[in-house]
Amino acid sequence: MKNILKPIIAAALMFGLSSCEKDVDTPIETTETYGDVNIDFNYVWGMGMEDFSLNDTLIHPMNGDTLVFSTFKHYISNIKLTKDDGTIWTQSESYHFLNVSDPNSLSINISDVPTGNYTGMEVTFGVDSTRNVSGAQSGALDVINGMFWNWNSGYIMLKAEGGSPQSTDGSFAYHIGGFSGENNVVSAKDFTFSSDLVISETEIHTINFRANPAKLFHTYGSVENGSFHMPGANAKMMADDFNGWTNISSIE
Amino acid sequence: MTYKTWKVTLFLSAFLFSCSQDHEIVRDAVVFKAPESFPEPVYTSEKFPFSKECVELGKKLFYDPILSIDNTISCGNCHAQSHAFSDHNTALSTGVNDLVGTRNSPALINLAWQPYFMHDGGVNHIEVFPIAPITNPVEMSLSIAEMIDKLSSNSAYRSDFQNAFETDSISSDLVFVAIAQFQSTLISANSKYDKYVHGEVSFSSEEKSGLDLFESNCASCHKPPLFTDYSFVNNGLDYTFNDAGRALVSQKSADSGKFKVPTLRNIALTNPYMHNGRFMSLDEVINHYSEGVKENGYLGPRLNRNLNLSDQEKADLITFLQTLTDYEFISNPDFSE
Repeated sequence: MKNILKPIIAAALMFGLSSCEKDVDTPIETTETYGDVNIDFNYVWGMGMEDFSLNDTLIHPMNGDTLVFSTFKHYISNIKLTKDDGTIWTQSESYHFLNVSDPNSLSINISDVPTGNYTGMEVTFGVDSTRNVSGAQSGALDVINGMFWNWNSGYIMLKAEGGSPQSTDGSFAYHIGGFSGENNVVSAKDFTFSSDLVISETEIHTINFRANPAKLFHTYGSVENGSFHMPGANAKMMADDFNGWTNISSIE
Repeated sequence: MTYKTWKVTLFLSAFLFSCSQDHEIVRDAVVFKAPESFPEPVYTSEKFPFSKECVELGKKLFYDPILSIDNTISCGNCHAQSHAFSDHNTALSTGVNDLVGTRNSPALINLAWQPYFMHDGGVNHIEVFPIAPITNPVEMSLSIAEMIDKLSSNSAYRSDFQNAFETDSISSDLVFVAIAQFQSTLISANSKYDKYVHGEVSFSSEEKSGLDLFESNCASCHKPPLFTDYSFVNNGLDYTFNDAGRALVSQKSADSGKFKVPTLRNIALTNPYMHNGRFMSLDEVINHYSEGVKENGYLGPRLNRNLNLSDQEKADLITFLQTLTDYEFISNPDFSE
């Protein structure tokens, strides 16, 4: 046992000593250069891709429901960018809360990306399972955002609420989440860029994502079928339809 | 009583201390010590090492009605030290505006060893445990945004957070870490039973007989030293279930009427019993397991028969359960308001 502990203690000692040397300014020797890229989320409605805005009256093209959204917010996480040499850059602390009522939240600045030509990216819809089971979180994951279930711990991937005359009580609310088992809604999706994204020190490009809230009802059908606030098959169905459609419309 | 100090934290704290010329916080591992007889704790507060300042802040929050919408209810109202941090012999607790909940306020004992919280286990981490009572309309009814507003506009709290976390910018995660650190210190491991196990006291013949009965009939679910295995069990209270229990969380009908096995430490102090406080006394509880278990189709293999105890056996079992009362725990000034 002692023989096992010795190197651990030695390593801890070195770590402890080095942590005290933070005032010493050691320049990092590297030739790597870094740049920024923006990710903008845009929302469209239905097959005709009309503008989607909160508080507008929208007609669902498939089921004919009249819907007025008051809330539309969701999480994406774990953004990864793939270079043309196959290397993958992963953003650290990559949790982003997209709230349609707060336009600033829909434009994400990604900084300190190594410069180069990138061919694609991966985005996780929702919050990865680890952060669902790791206690109190800060920043985008702060429960103050109202995207955490307190009775059945876990992050809500997507919250859509509003009013509709087709609903029996005049309103609808879909709180879509669940991070484990067969109805896990958290999923990563790969996107291939139509042409290489060049990240440089001088120019900041924007990747425009397009999401379509009408897709929530693609398989689920009318708001007549009721609201839900829990993980399950319905949440999985809505999440798959919504995430499946979400795409990159352009890179500027 | 001898404690092993929680080694990793002590080790880390020594290094933080060695750098402490630019740290105002003195990290003090001694505020959280695991009893030698216990397994490794589930909760170790990795992001913010245990500190005296943080635990004291958590205690202040625990006893402060500022966490309720109308400043009338604190955590301590329904989790009283004299009752091993359960409510005052109350089946269902009363929250703000005299609203009453649907489940019995659980005792808060050895929570750093508990893998999930609430009678149905729906909460998966000690840090997110307070969100439900704080925001529940029939408990404290305070939104997280309002909680942050109230604490941030209180200069004493800003100073407390500065001392505990080196920031006076109060965010919800810091509130929850502080409460979790305080609640982790609510350790009960010094009952007469513990002293008996450590060879410090002897048991009467009734206590010994009760211990034997306990070990052969109860200990597989109420497993020492924590006196629970944290499993979910339908214990035959009903034929049909007004409260689906674990099934509400798992969405599996097989979990209907199942609830988390509670610890039996300090059980003589935490009446009434069961998830809805239906049994006022330990006599009623023992009578249930002796002859009242209802065959409802959801009983596990460990509970599929009545124990059929004699009056003497029932009395001995209760005498043993009383040895689980930890008088040091309910009088420790570190835990008091």
